[in-house]
Amino acid sequence: MSRTDAVTRILFESFSAAEVRLFYLLGYGAIAVFCYGVYVQIRKYRRGAALRLEGGVWARFGAMLRSVLSHRTIARRDAAAGGAHRLIFYGFVLLFAGTATITLEYDILEPLFGIRFWHGGFYLIFSLILDLAGVALIAGLLFMMYRRGWLRLPKLDYARPDRVPGDPDFDRPQYRREDWAFLWILLIIGATGFVLEGARLVWLQGRPEVWDTRWWSPIGALLAQGMRAMGLTEQGGAVLRHGLWWFHGLIALLLIALIPFTKVKHIFTAAASLMVRDPLAAQRLPRVPESQVEAGAAKITDFNWKQLLNLDACTKCGRCHEACPARAVGAPLSPRDVILSLREFAHATLESGVVPAAAELDIHGKGPGQVAMETLWSCRTCMACVEICPVAVEHVPIIVQMRRKLVEDGAMDPLLTKTLQTIHKTGNSFGESKRKRGAWSKALPFPVKDARKEPVDVLWFVGDYASFDPRNQKVSQVFASLLQEAGVDFGILYDGESNAGNDVRRVGEEGLYEVLATANVNAMSSASFKSVVTTDPHSFNTIRNEYPDFGGKFEIEHYTTLAKRLFTEGRLKVTNPLKYRVTFHDPCHLGRFNKGYDAPRDLLALLGCELVEMGRCKANSFCCGAGGGRIWVPDPVGAEKPAQNRMKEAASIAGLEVYVVSCPKDLTMFEDALKTTGNEGKFVVKELIELIREAVPARRTDEVAA
Amino acid sequence: MKILVAVKQVAALDEDFEMRDDGRDVEPDFLLRDLNEWDDFSLEEAVKIKEAPPAPAPAPAPVEVVVVSVGADEVDESLRKCLAKGADRALRVWDAAIEGSDSIAIARVLAAVAKREAPDMLFAGVQSSDQSFASTGIATAAFLGWPHAAVVSNLSYAPGAKSAVFRRELEGGLLHEVEIQCPAVLTIQLGINTPRYASLRSIKQAAAKPIEVLSLADLGLGSADVGEAGSLSRVRRMYVPDKGRAQLIAGDVAQQAARLAEIIKEFKGAAA
Ligand code: SF4
Ligand code: SF4
Repeated sequence: MSRTDAVTRILFESFSAAEVRLFYLLGYGAIAVFCYGVYVQIRKYRRGAALRLEGGVWARFGAMLRSVLSHRTIARRDAAAGGAHRLIFYGFVLLFAGTATITLEYDILEPLFGIRFWHGGFYLIFSLILDLAGVALIAGLLFMMYRRGWLRLPKLDYARPDRVPGDPDFDRPQYRREDWAFLWILLIIGATGFVLEGARLVWLQGRPEVWDTRWWSPIGALLAQGMRAMGLTEQGGAVLRHGLWWFHGLIALLLIALIPFTKVKHIFTAAASLMVRDPLAAQRLPRVPESQVEAGAAKITDFNWKQLLNLDACTKCGRCHEACPARAVGAPLSPRDVILSLREFAHATLESGVVPAAAELDIHGKGPGQVAMETLWSCRTCMACVEICPVAVEHVPIIVQMRRKLVEDGAMDPLLTKTLQTIHKTGNSFGESKRKRGAWSKALPFPVKDARKEPVDVLWFVGDYASFDPRNQKVSQVFASLLQEAGVDFGILYDGESNAGNDVRRVGEEGLYEVLATANVNAMSSASFKSVVTTDPHSFNTIRNEYPDFGGKFEIEHYTTLAKRLFTEGRLKVTNPLKYRVTFHDPCHLGRFNKGYDAPRDLLALLGCELVEMGRCKANSFCCGAGGGRIWVPDPVGAEKPAQNRMKEAASIAGLEVYVVSCPKDLTMFEDALKTTGNEGKFVVKELIELIREAVPARRTDEVAA
Repeated sequence: MKILVAVKQVAALDEDFEMRDDGRDVEPDFLLRDLNEWDDFSLEEAVKIKEAPPAPAPAPAPVEVVVVSVGADEVDESLRKCLAKGADRALRVWDAAIEGSDSIAIARVLAAVAKREAPDMLFAGVQSSDQSFASTGIATAAFLGWPHAAVVSNLSYAPGAKSAVFRRELEGGLLHEVEIQCPAVLTIQLGINTPRYASLRSIKQAAAKPIEVLSLADLGLGSADVGEAGSLSRVRRMYVPDKGRAQLIAGDVAQQAARLAEIIKEFKGAAA
């Protein structure tokens, strides 16, 4: 044996043959338990409905790898947790890879092919890297313990807003125990690894190939020095090493065996979930196939395999819980708890050999694991949860699919029932005659073209609120004048237009949505235009992302991008720069849903406004509370409304003059919240269109007769 | 065990409507049609009885809910809504001769349907939201010679039972609790229950359930039984009355007050 050959990892030295056999036996046992667990999990997912994913596997794999390696999604809005997880992740991966390579050489390459690489310089460098990895792992774990134990982050509190204290699943202490057990097990594995290394060095201090290279394992070497200083002899080191070896090995095997049965499985489920993520999960809801009798999810097995996988991917990080506007105002909804409830339900029903009868698979209700209708109806489909989830859990389609079932059963607020009936009857949520849809344009000094009768460049899809709500009609009139002055050839569909259906779909009334979408697609298809514009982000979203599924592929933009272009092309000119101190509220459907963060801000800069951002802006914008059909259902009296919560945030900006919105529903919600929070007179709520009008005075003052 | 529910498709006025040339009705283009609001409640009441957990032995026969309406084929849309909400079958009676029937003639047709179907109960709405005669249901009972009650606001009825107990609201907050022998005709008041929502999908799926169309001959009736010939009343004209008067009183406050006092005196004088 040459000198470099001798420099290598000491494995089973001093173990009896029986001991080695026992270890292998236990190792295979752990792997068998692991495999069985994986089988049970996969069988559970396969009990869900079928789903075909779009897009290539490799592209998905690449995207997943980028998210995992960069930790981008974990570090967002929580850099400390991201950093600590990065340490744990990379520490763990390296240590695991190190152990795996030893197995590769010892059990496969060497016995079969006589190949050895685990010695000499390679071994020394690797042992240094592994020592550092161990330090990273332990540091990360200690921070996480500090975070859980001392920081008391509200998002890590498992108390549920949809249960009351005393309910068996109110705050789920078993989750807390599991969290701590996981941290401790990893910490013990890491720490014993180091002590083991030190003990081995003490034991083999007489061997120069071991002792002289000890500083390549700096932590182990330090520990060895310490142990020697405390009087540990070579024999003592041997005994300690032997005992610890077993201890360390057994815990590690235990961890492997437990992976599929505990939160440790997120190693796999989170990665898989990231791989099957749908970037349009909330923007484009799934269709109900013609052949499907029941609309929506009634039983746990009505979710598709990907959704069941999503449930298992959740790491209880609480970010969605923190971001949810419904939760923030005390509604009985936390997206995290919807996911965890359903996960518990799937665990209880779908992991045994046979699937229970349909009656036992009902996910609606107030029992353990079930989701109550009050919870589902509290959701504003604002997408804050989907957007922030680090592991690509897609809550919104899950919630909407469950609502579809409630709609089928008529289990909803009577006012919502009325609104849906009204929309079905009149094509709009205001219960106005179809014929009056274009009536707002009569107040203009010029006729607005009827796009059904003559070709136009730009088709303006007006939407319900901008057509019928008196306050928003004024904004529509201003926008029409601006288009006219900028020389845009535009028209509207008059009574050919129906409610776009975005919110009807998010309520869960899929049949009505189909009717509305088809009607609009037909009306739009028979008109002649180059592109579509809308002032309504809700219509914008569904036309852009969902109408293509109904055969309507139109080029559509929100008015903010069109207006910005009109300025850069010089067709609109700021002659009266505004010096307001403003803040901007990103509408969910423009911002988070369609990433339209920049155009409104660019416009505000063009107008000369000083923009002060609120804490929650852009992707983290806080829903006004009107989404998902909630604009049709009054919020509970007494409780804070999301819009009021938002107004208070805005009011904390010193010297704020204008709260700028760019969505008709926002205008309605926030003008109301301005009054109810007592901020009237301090600042005003305005539609961006109105600010444009101020900065670009009409050429003739009598032009807008409104 | 069968419950027959008589329903009507009512018309509501659209914006800027015009009258028909003969001046006896609104131009149909300006009418929005929907199921009569009261009928939503009477249908729900029947479906609730059907869905109630069956009473213990002797095992009652399953409940069948049949809806019937008199009208041309546009009525099918409303019938499909009823089917979506849980009715098992739908019947529609039509014949050109039925045009111009009043509520009594319609009741004669409904009574003929009831004889044919032989239900244990017949529900109708208290009234229709467009004509508001509030007579069709009770007139049907008269033709059938069945016990009847109007404006029922609470009902307890076990399918197959010989009688039912219902409550009606009377003046002064009194409640009237009545037992009635079956078969009977009840006209159902708003608010007796919470009508369910018929989702668009369920309406679409209900299209698969058949709507049986009956002619007068199927019911043993002739054209003299319906239309204006079979009616006791006839619409002479339908019109929008002249607008009420409104005037703006000009001048300063004292002048305005004086003029106002004058007007009040004028009206008092007219009333006296
Ligand atoms: S979509 Fe919005 S309201 Fe609904 S659960 Fe997610 S964060 Fe909450
Ligand atoms: S669903 Fe996602 S964001 Fe919410 S707690 Fe689970 S992992 Fe975190």
